[in-house]
Amino acid sequence: MNPLLRRGWFDRLLMAGLCLLALAWMLPLLWVLALSFKPNEFLMARTDVFLAPPYTLDNYLDILGTSAVFRWLGNSALVALLQTAGVLVLSSLAGYGFARCEFPGRRWLFAFVLFGLAVPAQSVFIPLHHQFTSWGLQNTHAGLILPGLAAPFGVYLMTQYFKAIPLELEEAALLDNASRLKTFVRVILPLSLPAQATLGIFTFLACWNDYLWPLVIATQPDMYTLTRGLASTQTNFAQSEGLGFLMAQAVFAGAPVLLLYLFFQKHLVSAVSSR
Amino acid sequence: MSAVGLRASRPAYALFVLPFVALYAALLIWPLLKGVFISFHDHDLLSNESFWVGLANYAELWDDEVFRQVVGNTIRFVAISTPIFVILSLSLALALNRPGKLAFLLRATFFCASVFSVTLVTLVWKLALMPGRGLLPQLLTALGLPELPLLTDENLALLTVALITVWWIIGLPMILFLSALQQIPAELYEAAALDNASRWRTLTRVTLPSLKRAIVLVALIELIRQFQVFPQILLMTNGGPNNSTRPIVQFIYEQAFMQLSLGYATAASQVLLAIMLVGVSAQIWIERDKKGGRA
Amino acid sequence: MASLKLQNISKRYGATQVIADLSLDVAEGEFVVFLGPSGCGKTSLLRMVAGLEEASGGRILIGGRDVTQAPPGQRNLAMVFQHYALYPHMSVRDNLAFGLRNIGVKEVEIARRIAEAGRMLELDALLERKPTQLSGGQRQRVAIGRAVVKEPGIFLFDEPLSNLDAALRGRTRLELAQLHRRLGATMVFVTHDQIEAMTLATRIVVMKGGAIEQVAAPAELYRRPATRFVAGFIGTPGMGFVPVQRAADEEGFAVLALPGGGRLRTRVPAVGLPAGALSLGLRPETLHPAADGAIQGSVEMVEFLGERTLAHLKLADGSALIVTLNGVRPEVGESIGVAVDVNEAHLFDESGRAHHALEPSA
Repeated sequence: MNPLLRRGWFDRLLMAGLCLLALAWMLPLLWVLALSFKPNEFLMARTDVFLAPPYTLDNYLDILGTSAVFRWLGNSALVALLQTAGVLVLSSLAGYGFARCEFPGRRWLFAFVLFGLAVPAQSVFIPLHHQFTSWGLQNTHAGLILPGLAAPFGVYLMTQYFKAIPLELEEAALLDNASRLKTFVRVILPLSLPAQATLGIFTFLACWNDYLWPLVIATQPDMYTLTRGLASTQTNFAQSEGLGFLMAQAVFAGAPVLLLYLFFQKHLVSAVSSR
Repeated sequence: MSAVGLRASRPAYALFVLPFVALYAALLIWPLLKGVFISFHDHDLLSNESFWVGLANYAELWDDEVFRQVVGNTIRFVAISTPIFVILSLSLALALNRPGKLAFLLRATFFCASVFSVTLVTLVWKLALMPGRGLLPQLLTALGLPELPLLTDENLALLTVALITVWWIIGLPMILFLSALQQIPAELYEAAALDNASRWRTLTRVTLPSLKRAIVLVALIELIRQFQVFPQILLMTNGGPNNSTRPIVQFIYEQAFMQLSLGYATAASQVLLAIMLVGVSAQIWIERDKKGGRA
Repeated sequence: MASLKLQNISKRYGATQVIADLSLDVAEGEFVVFLGPSGCGKTSLLRMVAGLEEASGGRILIGGRDVTQAPPGQRNLAMVFQHYALYPHMSVRDNLAFGLRNIGVKEVEIARRIAEAGRMLELDALLERKPTQLSGGQRQRVAIGRAVVKEPGIFLFDEPLSNLDAALRGRTRLELAQLHRRLGATMVFVTHDQIEAMTLATRIVVMKGGAIEQVAAPAELYRRPATRFVAGFIGTPGMGFVPVQRAADEEGFAVLALPGGGRLRTRVPAVGLPAGALSLGLRPETLHPAADGAIQGSVEMVEFLGERTLAHLKLADGSALIVTLNGVRPEVGESIGVAVDVNEAHLFDESGRAHHALEPSA
């Protein structure tokens, strides 16, 4: 508890100020949300009307009519889900191997993996793209999914988590004649659900929002992810006539993520603070 | 090495880590090494010919005025955004480190923007900054202030994108500071209260010194992350106006996909990597100190 | 039921030798307790028997079979862990069945064993619950049940009562004794609590610093402790020690000059007593106030325990002794005399070895 803020009036003033700041912070988003319900023609003339009529759902209907957006949404969902599943499986297996198993070269291998935490995607995306092109993986779902599976963050997280599980449980399983793999699947894995949730949310979000890799690996519009697709519509729209439509697109792209955030806030925050 | 019990060493156990390590080696380490290798070549993607040139690419980078400007831009971006990140997120964390629904809602609000993708954020802000019809110009006009060409002025563009970046991901360093604050033992504050310390004194003599390491760490983390800045600049200003915002990663991207000279692009990537490794080493060094020095 | 044989066991952690050349024979059906202070190596020893730690040297034989290199699950034993180690996400039934399923025991047989263990340990009502829904005592019974269903040759217990509150501890001690009687199984039990050891064991292995001090039945340990350490460790409170001088022997028995000038003619044979400093070992239960007693001391503190009252005395030479009061109520600072029962007076030489009084003739 922070005794800095015990005094009455200062406290209230501070919180009021923060509320105003938060409102101002959200203002651009709220503005876009409000205007997405206005017809395009109206917005060509003026954009200073918030809550007053006219209202319309036309912009959203137009989105639903645009097949490309759904294609993009589908790509994002597929890629994010598969990558998340892959990361969870690989990171759990490797995390257990590093945390609880002894084998020749374990320490070196772990250091080798941790080194990757320092390497940013921006330093390898060029040769990786070159590699993937020569393998014919450009513009494929596999091409979008695979690189994310090599990120060491998940392994690091799961290793730390598994290390904290009491050794006694595994010793009991050992005495119960459970093989190492069986111990992992039947005893350890079910106990790691919180960490799995955290890693899963974090990975899903990172994949959904990724821009750089989909930019280079998916050059055909029907392979775009939502993030990339949305960017492709952001051309010179200062003169654009479809302002409302653009705003509706923004809302449409942001809604799933926002829902995810509202439900899984706890896990997201713990993922961030565990770095 | 024990042959019995949990500490028994068996090569078969390596199978647990093998799937990941194989992918890791193939998709992270191999491209890394390949990148270094290619950077010593002149590799033209159009003709797909490559021949050894040694350090020529690096020498060329050194003399390249555009690259220098690009590095300069990135440094300026980091220099602008990092202090703002640290001070703002620290202030928010200090103010919101309290129980209660309101604080919870406020924390959630400030964190909220960071879950959105960069394209969403840039779209929203490009709309908000639209000359004439955008939210901000209208607000400025309503207040009687002149409209500022925030994205189109050479001197203002980088600053604008930096501020938008802060708006976007202030949530992450805020959370880091919050967890650091929660690790300060309550007894310290109680002792200070018994010592009649004023609120300001407590802040400067108790709280901030306890946060010293966290501040350095957050600054370093943001520094490292912002050095890799790319999408928001690409989408908001495309490196302009007049090269005043183009960051290193955009340079790399353009060299590879527009100039099609792979060797030059990978050489620039190695420069970026070198800068990153320095930053991360500093981060590890500080964090190790933290573990050793804990009372 | 199986026997346990430890031959020349040694254990090293890096450069530190924790156990050196320890040998022990445990017969079938015995309830053996490894007793000692923390760090004496008793838990290391148990874990080596279980196969959770590797012995640095020596052999372990269970039922005559050398299991030194065998995996833990193949040693014909079951273990009850200090913190129970129940699988938190499995029901009690699945916890009990897990080990049996892993070795391919038929489901019919598994169900039969679980039913029987459930009856014996009153687990019937708890079979479908998860460990987090159980109290500490219930979890412990499940941990015991998990061992029982395996029908092992040897049961191992790693300080199982240390997590229970005092009342539950007493009850569980009884239940464990009943279990042993019922199954007739070989049990190896580790504890630092000498009361648990004294009440449960058929034989106690007292350990200190990685070595065995004495192996004996509880009564023997109490009446004829082999070393000063054992004498001081066993008993509540343990034996007290007074430094004494040798006077001239009488009739072949050692005679002692006590602090404060008293003289004591012991029944300890003078033959075999080494030269050097001697300590007189006296249990508080055998010391009562007597005006003409051989020992004189001033009362430092009086402890009322309910069934008896203890007085802490300070003797003439500064050494401390605890005596039992029999109705007398001395004041603090008062000087009282204490009578010594020579049949219960033990002598300890410099190396800590005990020299006992001759048994009284019938």
